[in-house]
Amino acid sequence: MGYQTPYAPTRSELSSCIQCGLCLPHCPTFRLTGKETDSPRGRLTAMTAVLDGVTGIDEVFTETISFCLGCRACEPVCPSMVPYGRTLEGARAEISAHKGGVLRRLRGWIMESWLGSPGIMRAVTWATALVQRTGLARIAPRRVRSGLRGLRRIGWRTPSLRGRTFEPDRAPVATVGLLTGCIMGPWFAEVHQASIAVLVRAGYRVVVPSGQTCCGALAAHDGAADGAGRLAVRNAAAFRGVDYVVANAAGCSAHLKDYRHWVPGDALSDDWRVRDITELVADAVEDGRLPRLEGGRGTVALQHPCHLRNAQRIINQPRVILEAAGYQPADIDPVCCGAAGFYSILRPDTSSRLGRDKADEIRRSGAALVASANPGCEMQLRSHLVGEYPVLHPVELYMQALSDATESRA
Amino acid sequence: MAATLTGRNTKLRDDLIRLLGAERVMDSALERHLYAKDAGVYRGNPTVVVMIETTEEAAQVVRTARRHGVPVVARGAGTGLSAGAVPEVGGVVLVTTRMNRIEEIDAENHTAWVGPGVINLDLSRATTPFGMHFAPDPSSQSACTVGGNIACNSGGPHCLSEGSTVNHILALEVVTDTGDVMIVGSGAPDPVGLDLRGIIVGSEGTLGIVTRALVKLTPNPPDVRTMAVAFATIEDAAATVSGIIAAGLIPAALEMMDQLMMQAIENWLHAGLPVEAGALLLAEVTGVTEAVEAEAEMIAGIAQSNKALSVQVAASPAERELLWKSRKSAFGAVAQAAPDYYLHDTVVPRTRLVEAMRQVYEIGQRYQITMMNVFHAGDGNLHPLMAFDASEPGRLDEVKAAADELVELCVEKGGVLSGEHGIGMEKRHLMPLLFTEMDLDAQARVKDAFDAEGVFNPGKVLPEGSRCFDFGRPVPEGAWV
Repeated sequence: MGYQTPYAPTRSELSSCIQCGLCLPHCPTFRLTGKETDSPRGRLTAMTAVLDGVTGIDEVFTETISFCLGCRACEPVCPSMVPYGRTLEGARAEISAHKGGVLRRLRGWIMESWLGSPGIMRAVTWATALVQRTGLARIAPRRVRSGLRGLRRIGWRTPSLRGRTFEPDRAPVATVGLLTGCIMGPWFAEVHQASIAVLVRAGYRVVVPSGQTCCGALAAHDGAADGAGRLAVRNAAAFRGVDYVVANAAGCSAHLKDYRHWVPGDALSDDWRVRDITELVADAVEDGRLPRLEGGRGTVALQHPCHLRNAQRIINQPRVILEAAGYQPADIDPVCCGAAGFYSILRPDTSSRLGRDKADEIRRSGAALVASANPGCEMQLRSHLVGEYPVLHPVELYMQALSDATESRA
Repeated sequence: MAATLTGRNTKLRDDLIRLLGAERVMDSALERHLYAKDAGVYRGNPTVVVMIETTEEAAQVVRTARRHGVPVVARGAGTGLSAGAVPEVGGVVLVTTRMNRIEEIDAENHTAWVGPGVINLDLSRATTPFGMHFAPDPSSQSACTVGGNIACNSGGPHCLSEGSTVNHILALEVVTDTGDVMIVGSGAPDPVGLDLRGIIVGSEGTLGIVTRALVKLTPNPPDVRTMAVAFATIEDAAATVSGIIAAGLIPAALEMMDQLMMQAIENWLHAGLPVEAGALLLAEVTGVTEAVEAEAEMIAGIAQSNKALSVQVAASPAERELLWKSRKSAFGAVAQAAPDYYLHDTVVPRTRLVEAMRQVYEIGQRYQITMMNVFHAGDGNLHPLMAFDASEPGRLDEVKAAADELVELCVEKGGVLSGEHGIGMEKRHLMPLLFTEMDLDAQARVKDAFDAEGVFNPGKVLPEGSRCFDFGRPVPEGAWV
C-alpha cells in the first residue's frame, strides 16, 4: 500500500487541490467520457487515495492515470495552482515501479537508451527513410502507420550539429545552448537550421554542446523516472556555462524548465535558465533585433502546443513571430491535438479522435498552412490533415520570410 | 427503504450493466471513492455509479434501483458545496454529464431545450451568436451543469437583477419515483394548473430526476460598464452598497471582497487588484449606453461620498472579463491559505451587512480560523470562506461549529440559511432555525407526495423528525385531515 519511489506525488502537492472542479471542462478526457475518473480532480483524488491507503495501485488506478494525455490544460485554470503535471509524472513512476512487466520495461529502455543514443537514432532514421521510400508503411501496424504519415520526408543521414558553435556578426547578446534532442536532429533538421539562423541573426552565439542527450521528457511522462533522471543529469552537465538553454520543441523546453525535479541540487547550476525558442525570437522581434517583415503572406492556422501554452504559459509569442513574418495568424482552439508523446501509439483511438477534431477545426479556419511549435503535434496534425496543408514551426516560417525578403532586396 | 447500504451490491450492478453496458457502470473501490463527495466537505458512500445518456435510461435506472430497494442520487459535475450530490446512505449515483445536448435554440422565443448535463457557460456560449445568454451565473459556471443549477436553484452575481435559476426555467422533464416521465410547466408564460416548476427547482434531487429543461434565455444587454471601486474598510464599501440601492439603482451585479481574498486571487491571476485596500466593490450596470453611463456616474458619485480610494472602470471586454474571472475564481484561490476550505452561504438583510461582517470576523478570531470574504453584496448574500487544515484532529468539527454560528447570526438578523448553494446535508440540522414544525411538516408532505418511499436523495434538506404526524396510519373514513 502507499507509494514506494522518491518520485511519488507528495502530500503537500496533492492537498493543494481543494476539489472545486473548475478544471473539469478543460480536460479533454473528461470532455470525452464525462467521468470523474477521467478528470484532473478525479485523478488527484485517486492519487491521494493511494497515498492514504484507501486503494492500492490497481487496474482502475492505472487506467485512470494512463488515460490522461498529460496536456496540463487543468493547470492554467486552477486557482489553487496545483502542480498537476508533476504529480502525474510521479504517479506514472509509481505505476511503473509497482507493476513492472516486460512491455513497460522495454518501453523504459527504449525511452532512455534509444532516444539517448545518437547511434541508435541514426539507425532508426535510416530504417524510417527506407520505409518512406519503399511503401513498406502500408503494411506497418495501424498505430505506427499514423505516425509515419505525419513525418516530414527525412534524409538517409543528417550531419550532426553537436560540438559546433555559430557566431553572430556582432558582439553576442548572450550565449545559448541548443538542445538537438532525440528525434529533432535527424527528423526535423530544417527546424534546427532555421532556429540557428534566426538566433544568430538576433545576435545570439549558438553553441551545440556535444555531451548532450535526449531531454528525458518522453521517459518522464511514461513513468520511466530513473532513466529520465539519468538523461537530465547528463544534460545538466553538458549545458553548463551557457546563458540560456534553448529548445525548439515545446515538450523539451517545458521539461528542461522542470529539471529541478529531476537533477539533484548540486548537479544543476544555480543559473539554469531555459527558454523555448519562441520566447527568444519574439523578444528579439519586440526589441528590434529581428525585423518585422511585410505582410500579405496569408492566413496561418496557429496551433498552441499544450506544453507551450499550459506548461510554460507561452501564448502570445508564436503569434508575434508569425505576424513579424507577415502572416495573419488564426488561433486554433487550444484543446490537446491528441499527439501527447507516446500516447498516440499507446492509445490510438483517443489520440485519433482528438486529432480528427483538430484537423476539422483547421479546415474551417480558412488558413492555407499550419504553424506548430512542437514536433509531436506537427506529426499528429500532418497525419490527420493527410497532406492537405504544410505544417511548419513558426520559426521556420519566419526564416523563410526573412530569406524571401533578403532575396527580393538583392 | 434500507437506511444504510455499504459496500458493493453485485446483483444491482449486474442488472445495471445489462441495462447500460459495463463501460457506464462503475463500482470499484476507487471509482466509488471518487464519487463519494462533491466540492464540499461531506463524504458519502456510493453503492454503484452509472452514466446515463437518455431519459428512458434514467427511468429504467430508477425502476431497477427501486426493485433492489436502493436510493438514487443525481449528480452533475460535482461542483456543489452543500453535499446535495453526496450519497450519504449509499445507493445509485446517477451521473448526467453525458446528457449534455443543447437540443434546440428557439431564437425568436428566447428559449432552449437542454439536457441536465449541459455546462452552464457552454449554454451561454452556444447562445451568444443569437445575442442571448443563460442568466444564472454561479461562480462555478465554467464547470457546473444546468441540472445542478436547477437542483440548487443556483444564483450568481447577476441574480441581483435577473433572479435565480427558478426565474429562468419554463418547463422540466422529470423522471418520477415510479420511473415514469412527466413534464411540468410549458413554453407558455403562465402555465395552466398548479405551477410545479417552483417546487422541482431547488428540491435538490429529492423529488425526481430532471432529464431535460426548457430554459429561458436572456438577451445580451446593448452596453455594459463594470467598475472596481476600492475602499479602506468593509464598512465604507457596505455603506456604498446601501447608498446605491437607496438611490433606486439596481445594478446588474454588486459584489464585494475583502483584502485577504484579493491577495489570494492576485497571487494567482495578476489581475491588478488593489491589494492594499481593505475592500473591493465590483459593480456592473447594463442597458442602453446613455443609461449605463448615467448609472455608472451615479455609482461613482455615491462611492466617492463614501470615501472610495479609487474608481476603476473596465476599459475593454478583456478587462471586464479579467475582473469577473478574479471574482469567480475566488473560492479556488483560497487553497493558497490552507489545504482545506469551507465556503459558506448565508443571507442577511442588506441593511445589516456591516454589523454582520464585523461578527463574521469575530467568529473567525474566536475559532482561530482564517476568514476570507467574497460575496454578493447587492442581495446580502454572504460567502465567508474558512481556510483550515482538516488533517489537524478536531479541526473540521470546529469549522463546522463556526459555520453553524455564522448561520445563526444571519438568521437572528432576519436573514436566511442559504442564498444559493442549497441545504443538502450541510444545513439541514439548521432548518428549525428558520422553519416551524408546521413549515417542516408541510415540506415533508410535499416530499412524500412525490416520493413516498424515499427513492430520491434520502435524508437531504429536511432534518430527521420533520414529519409531525404518523402518515402510515390509515385515516378513518370521513375524517378531516
